[in-house]
Amino acid sequence: MSSMDMPADAPRQSARAAHATIPDAPRLTWLTLALMTTASVASLRAAPTMAVYGLACVFLYLVPAIVFLLPTALVSAELASGWNGGVYRWVSEGLSKPLGFLAVWCQFAMTIFYYPSLLAFVASTLAYVIDPALASSGLYTAIVIMVLYWTGVWISSRGTKALAGLSSWGLVIGTLIPGTILVVLGMVFLAQGNPSAAPMTASHLLPEWTGLASLVLIVNNFLSYSGMEMNAVHVSSLKNPAKEYPKSMFLAMGLVLLIFILPALAISWVVPSSQTSLTAGVMQAFDAFFSYFDIGWMTPIAAVMLISASLAGMLTWLAGPSKGLLEISRSEGYLPPFLQQLNRFGVQQNILVTQGAVTTVIALGYAFIPNVSNVYWIFSTITTQVYLIVYLLMFVAAMRLRKNQPDHPRGYRVPALNVLCVVGLLSSAAAMVIGFVPPSQFGGGSVLVYVVIIGSGLGLLGLLIPWAFLKFRKPSWQTEAAREEGAAS
Amino acid sequence: MSPTRFASEHKWIYIGAIVVLLALVVIGLVRYAAITTNNKATQKANELADAAVAAGYRRPDTALIAGLLGTDGGLVCDDPASALKSALWKINVSNGAAFVGQRPVIGDGRALAAEATIMKIYCPDKLDKIQDKLDDLKTDDTVRQ
Repeated sequence: MSSMDMPADAPRQSARAAHATIPDAPRLTWLTLALMTTASVASLRAAPTMAVYGLACVFLYLVPAIVFLLPTALVSAELASGWNGGVYRWVSEGLSKPLGFLAVWCQFAMTIFYYPSLLAFVASTLAYVIDPALASSGLYTAIVIMVLYWTGVWISSRGTKALAGLSSWGLVIGTLIPGTILVVLGMVFLAQGNPSAAPMTASHLLPEWTGLASLVLIVNNFLSYSGMEMNAVHVSSLKNPAKEYPKSMFLAMGLVLLIFILPALAISWVVPSSQTSLTAGVMQAFDAFFSYFDIGWMTPIAAVMLISASLAGMLTWLAGPSKGLLEISRSEGYLPPFLQQLNRFGVQQNILVTQGAVTTVIALGYAFIPNVSNVYWIFSTITTQVYLIVYLLMFVAAMRLRKNQPDHPRGYRVPALNVLCVVGLLSSAAAMVIGFVPPSQFGGGSVLVYVVIIGSGLGLLGLLIPWAFLKFRKPSWQTEAAREEGAAS
Repeated sequence: MSPTRFASEHKWIYIGAIVVLLALVVIGLVRYAAITTNNKATQKANELADAAVAAGYRRPDTALIAGLLGTDGGLVCDDPASALKSALWKINVSNGAAFVGQRPVIGDGRALAAEATIMKIYCPDKLDKIQDKLDDLKTDDTVRQ
């Protein structure tokens, strides 16, 4: 981080930022990008949660795949094959530049609240490996979150190549290998003539229908596929983006589906739902699974693998949205020059460090203040609501781009784009509406209070803050370098 | 930075990551202690299996339960009411997302009841501390039996 320029005043900031141009993006293969995309969406963490639903977990993943994953992946494949830069560029071209900023802001801002809960999970899994009693320690949790988060920032600040390698290998080591082991062992279990712990009959294909609770479960599962479009910001790193990005998206789609469905099914074959524990977390389910085969010692290894997958995913989220935020802010001057500066690797280091400062405060609150950690689940609803704004904008932008720029060269044209966009729009809107239904954790509290809390969080994080950036930006925030880059392109 | 130094630095990042992960695996294997089963563990496992059947589940493998929960409930009874553990399990009453899409849902009541049953048998003192939190949860029967 020594390379960071730290100007003392605005004019100097502008001047220095003016000389900092984005170096050529390092090359990524389409396979690496597919693995990065998969790493940012899927891991085995959710498998024990969904294994409880037995055979119905297939339905709970396939229906959202049809109405949300397919539209998101195919539409972003077409958009990325025609325009570099990711969601901010698509929305800027299709709707307007301020809305492009809103889209990437929402994609970026919601991750700030996400990292503490992800890293708290990593801390508890790490405690399982070292000493389970540590999981209740605020100091331990804070230290793990800080060390891992800032190491992630440091790695991200070394450039896309470093994090691409780590996130790809993290997926292979942390998800693909243990996922394959789970599935193979599950098949061995059935092949030995054991009855599946969860019934596998046709009548169990559908989840229990109990009205609103089932609707909440099904619709909220749309969000399992959030983030499929996020790595499109790296599309210019591909040799032939128009052809390679769609290929990478198709592979990622297949991997995500396999990772979500098969390991959850395998666990449901072996571990009865009466033995899965909510409070003991995912390691309890893995322990039960491996203990059946008398290889309980595999559990700490699986824990380390799960940690590596979670960190791989975190790396992709650190690098993607912040890069998009930088690119539109540089070209339009939407953020102060300090936040537009790059380090010598061409990475948006100041955005990452500023984001890190905010994340640090939130994470310390999570670790040390029980009142914060106790209600942290609310933030996950607010942040997913904020993320849905991105999808609403993306689908509208895609339809407008097809209509207004039909001849713009695209490497891939998705068939029936408008139908897919409408399906995606409706799914996103439904998920947003369902986000206002109080979940288990809210208990018997007032629905109105819950709606006000979620609505206020959505309005503040997803609308008010980006509006304030747009409203109070100064002409001097648009740097000379960005103008030159804009003119050159 | 020259491409050679660039690649060299990346190499050290990769090596560092591998060393840390391998060290964790070694620590995990050294510390891993299979729960030894005895008569008391088997007796408690039978109690839990009976309770599962009474709750409408298939009778689970009692040897597996004994190996998993031992006599003290293992991880399930390891300070479940602490602020951080409560925060984590509350976050985990969620949909099937693994990353940013994770959001809370209306959980299955029978799964939560099973949780309480395990604690009632293995660590009733811990159940007292968490019972209020479990009772506060709004649940429904979303898992088909």
